[in-house]
Amino acid sequence: MYKVVVPGDFISEAASRAGEGTYVEDGKVYAMRYGIVDERGGIKVVPLSGKYVPAEGDVVIGRIAEISFPFWIVDIASPYEARLHMSEFADTRDEKIEFGSMSRFLDLDELIVAKVTNVDVVMRVDLALKEDFNLRSGGRLIEIPHTKVPRVIGRSGSMVKMLKEKCNCFIFIAKNGRIWVRGREDNMNLATEAILKIASESHTSGLTDRVADFLDSLKREKGRR
Amino acid sequence: MKEGKEEIELIKEGKRLDGRGFDELRPIKIEVGVLKRADGSCYFELGDNKVIAAVYGPREMHPRHAQDAKMAVVKFRYNMAPFSVDDRKRPGPDRRSVEISKVSREALDPVIMREYYPKTAIDVYVEILQSDAGTRTAGINAASIALADAGIPMKDLVSSVAVGKIDGEIVLDLNAIEDNHGEADMPVAMVARTNTITLLQMDGRLEREEFERGLKLAMGACHQIYELQRAALIDRYSESVDVGEGEA
Amino acid sequence: MGLEIVDDIRKDYVRDLIESGKRVDGRGFREYREINVEKDVIKRAEGSARVRIGNTDVLVGVKLEPGAPFPDAPGEGVIITNAEFVPLASPEFESGPPDENSVQLARVVDRGIRGSEAIDLAKLCIEEGEKVWMVFIDIHILDNDGNLVDAAALGAIASLLNIRIPNERYGLTGEDTLPMRDTPVAVTTVEIEGNILVDPDFNEENAAASRLTVISNADGTLSGMQKSGSGGLKEEEIAEMVEIGIEKGGEIREKFL
Repeated sequence: MYKVVVPGDFISEAASRAGEGTYVEDGKVYAMRYGIVDERGGIKVVPLSGKYVPAEGDVVIGRIAEISFPFWIVDIASPYEARLHMSEFADTRDEKIEFGSMSRFLDLDELIVAKVTNVDVVMRVDLALKEDFNLRSGGRLIEIPHTKVPRVIGRSGSMVKMLKEKCNCFIFIAKNGRIWVRGREDNMNLATEAILKIASESHTSGLTDRVADFLDSLKREKGRR
Repeated sequence: MKEGKEEIELIKEGKRLDGRGFDELRPIKIEVGVLKRADGSCYFELGDNKVIAAVYGPREMHPRHAQDAKMAVVKFRYNMAPFSVDDRKRPGPDRRSVEISKVSREALDPVIMREYYPKTAIDVYVEILQSDAGTRTAGINAASIALADAGIPMKDLVSSVAVGKIDGEIVLDLNAIEDNHGEADMPVAMVARTNTITLLQMDGRLEREEFERGLKLAMGACHQIYELQRAALIDRYSESVDVGEGEA
Repeated sequence: MGLEIVDDIRKDYVRDLIESGKRVDGRGFREYREINVEKDVIKRAEGSARVRIGNTDVLVGVKLEPGAPFPDAPGEGVIITNAEFVPLASPEFESGPPDENSVQLARVVDRGIRGSEAIDLAKLCIEEGEKVWMVFIDIHILDNDGNLVDAAALGAIASLLNIRIPNERYGLTGEDTLPMRDTPVAVTTVEIEGNILVDPDFNEENAAASRLTVISNADGTLSGMQKSGSGGLKEEEIAEMVEIGIEKGGEIREKFL
């Protein structure tokens, strides 16, 4: 059982333990987000909602929104756009990318998996491609609020492990709330329903068991049909 | 507005026309997260006022030259539906709504931690669906909840109410008849935790002592409203609650 | 960007000085800049005044025209207050429809005149339900060096005190003067680092998080108030601002009205 707080709620006197989602005033810790208090480790408020803000090291799924030589401008489901430099391709290929030919390598609306390599003070976000992921070989994108991502992963990865087993799908969860699912069509449908259920019930406890039961009942229903 | 109107007795036998005492709020009803598309939303009823607030953002700020490199820009739009008042209101912004939008935004600015989202815009939209005086205060109350619902980092919630003078008495939370025939109206917004005033307007005429008494009355009522706002947000997740763990 | 940095340095400078008890121009915290009021400066207007507070320069003109009354007040004249932030007055002002600052300025000045009932609206009735005098108060900003509200409000009441009703021009007969029943005066203070300062100049306005305009009348009652700016105020600070408002309002009234 955890405590829901609203901005301005007093949480603790232990100012030295104040973490994300809190602020300290006169030596006291207050909530700065509407969310759930998590006192494991430091004192955090895990927000129930909010926009994704990129941080260095995050792995995200992006969509090419614009091409502006020598950058691809990438939508990363955030108020901030990211950019991917042309050299990300040029380095790995002998071919030189000419002005006007960038779309041959990555075209508008294409999806990429990338790592945030730098966020500067004016919120310019730089990306590096993660070549080990190729989203061109089929699959489905599911978008959920990034605040729900920890629940889809679950404690020590328990939720996503269960999802992968029961749905028999490849599932990749990016920090920005975008999830890539690849598998047979009916299995992807199962995974989609389960993930959307997790997102809408993310604040409740016993979720892993409930989602497992949900998937079992969906599968039984399908078996009967 | 205040003078020349037919005289109406607003207080009879120590009670107001709607039966309230001098220091009594109208009934308040709050619902959080009422709009699907908005990032945060709230429906707020204050007596016969029906108000809805939506928050979009933080999102990219347009036009770009209006961006602030250090913090988010908060935009606030107070809008009255044409059918919200007896005489149909012409749609679109008028001078009154421009002013209300400005002071309402400034009432919320002190609590919004804008530095967390440089270069972005946070749009706050307040629609008055039905009006019975006190719409700006209801709008600020709703907007404050909608901002929290949108996950915006904030130091506190903001609570708001008006006081005024009718038949020579300082009373809380004027309704439309009282506002139209009263002697003064004074909307106030406050951060309850710190007793910090973030909105203060007055029109009509008040003695200095009446002003001070009215401000105290409003501040006390803001504490009551704050408790209701907080409860509305907390109750939404009253079932057992859990947090996940793990890294993406 | 360059401008922004300069602004930030200036803000810090203003704040640092104030923390050590000083203002940039050497004034006391409760001291106005020099005020200058010239009445009847525009021949074509029925009433006018040019008010200068330090370098802030505001011209107010009042015009009267016959017009139809509002249906809910058939026997009363109408006051319409408007403020124009013309681009010549400041690099921040742009031409175009009134922005929120000019709307606020006009509405606060209007509120003071209305709240004090300075104008007896019934005396502006020409023919009940048909024709009344419409009083147009137009505020023209010439130079914005801060505290436009106090200058504009003073200009408005100074203009109104010398109104000549243009009966002849419209073929009407009646009183040529409009006796005023009160003299509302606006006094604006700002809060900077816990200090309350009256009559902020442009840089002080920018450095302040909150500003409060208090409009008071000859008998010490209040007829309008407006907080603006993105900060908050404590009850004690507001009490001090109201006290200054009434005191300084009295001094200004005595000297200029």
